[in-house]
Amino acid sequence: MDSVFVLNAAHLHLVLNHVPTLGTAVALALLLLALIRRQETLVHVGLEVLFVIAIVTMPVYVTGAAAYAHLRNGADFSDIAARIHQDAALTGFAVTEFAGFVAWVALWQSRRIGHAGRGLVAAATVLSLIALAIMGRAATLGGEIHHLEIRAAAAAAPVSNTDGGEGTDVTDQFVAARISRYMVNSTWAWPAAETIHFLGLSLSIGMLLAINLRLLGVMPQVAFADMHRLLPWAMLGFGANLITGMLFFVGQPNQYVDSAPFHWKVVFLLIAGANFLYLTVFKKAWDTDGSDARFADKVMAVSSIAAWLIVLVAGRMLPFLGNAF
Amino acid sequence: MPTVLTLHTTGMAVLVGASWVLDLRLLGINKNVPLSNYRWVFHAVAIGLLVNLITGVLLFMKNATGWGTAFPFLVKMLFVVASAATILPIRKYVLNSGAGRDEVTSNVRLLAIASIVAWSAAVTAGRLLAYLVA
Repeated sequence: MDSVFVLNAAHLHLVLNHVPTLGTAVALALLLLALIRRQETLVHVGLEVLFVIAIVTMPVYVTGAAAYAHLRNGADFSDIAARIHQDAALTGFAVTEFAGFVAWVALWQSRRIGHAGRGLVAAATVLSLIALAIMGRAATLGGEIHHLEIRAAAAAAPVSNTDGGEGTDVTDQFVAARISRYMVNSTWAWPAAETIHFLGLSLSIGMLLAINLRLLGVMPQVAFADMHRLLPWAMLGFGANLITGMLFFVGQPNQYVDSAPFHWKVVFLLIAGANFLYLTVFKKAWDTDGSDARFADKVMAVSSIAAWLIVLVAGRMLPFLGNAF
Repeated sequence: MPTVLTLHTTGMAVLVGASWVLDLRLLGINKNVPLSNYRWVFHAVAIGLLVNLITGVLLFMKNATGWGTAFPFLVKMLFVVASAATILPIRKYVLNSGAGRDEVTSNVRLLAIASIVAWSAAVTAGRLLAYLVA
């Protein structure tokens, strides 16, 4: 397997899978502490941690699917236990991403008006609690896949081969399997999602190009605060692409899990995500008002453009270097 | 061919994305920023158009008869030409605008909406070619 992963996918999943649960727990603790101590800085840190956790949860899901693809035919592997875990993880992933999005909106707002809206912070706190609960359950279910001594729950799960009628099978009761079947069998679902994916990438790249060109010295008279206003548009494009991208991945995971360009795409999405957070919250760039940006900000701008372009190129190369279409 | 296709997609992102940045400005996002600051958009659009013209011709040449006779392809070309056509009057307007806060006329706002819609249609038609024209 030609891969950027040094460890195999299953091992990497075992390393990364602690991030969503422990990370949301830390974010939740920070937000609750901020509530008690009434410190705006703590609120910001809590929201930033939540956003970072939402980004890192992407490779956690991806490596989990890769591990499943590699282990499913092994001896002593419970396919049902894995699918139950996968469905819980998919729900947890969706809630975590939504929590990260709300955290990002709060951070964007606090950069503009000095503090985050109370409603947004409350929503981020509640969502991180829900994410923690679902991810905690997913983690437990994941542990049961191979730890036979705690597999009682999976064995007792209401799954049977007999209740399916004509033309259905046991996987019908799993959300991930149903999404997959829909994406593969529907005539228009895949092309429609691809179209939205391309519109979304154009929107994100256009906005980030404008913001980063400002840091690089094009439009020197424009305050960075004005470019900062374009970030939600970039987020809109990214959100559309995260949703459609996950539809592809859940739809045909085997096309991606062993694909080298897909691995690069995920790695550079992490870098691009870190850049996005930098553009959203950091004070130095914000203070660039009608003057030249600092050298560090220019480095960030170049790396941001490069990271997004690599994400695009790796994505477009998927059908040719990997086995995706 | 994968490299050509990837360049075509990259050119699209720069071309369409940069156009949208200006279109949103014309529709009122950041209206306090003088239009003269957006001149870079036309450089980005020109580079994107050039890259996509060259790579587009290369992609066309691979199956000229097939593409030339495919109705969806002609529809895409129509949208591309229509989108590119909206840039010329927008460019003229922006280059003629002063350095102050400019109130955008309703005609230019309509052009901006036409630009957003036409580029979206061009991207949609282009992406669907992969499924409509074998």
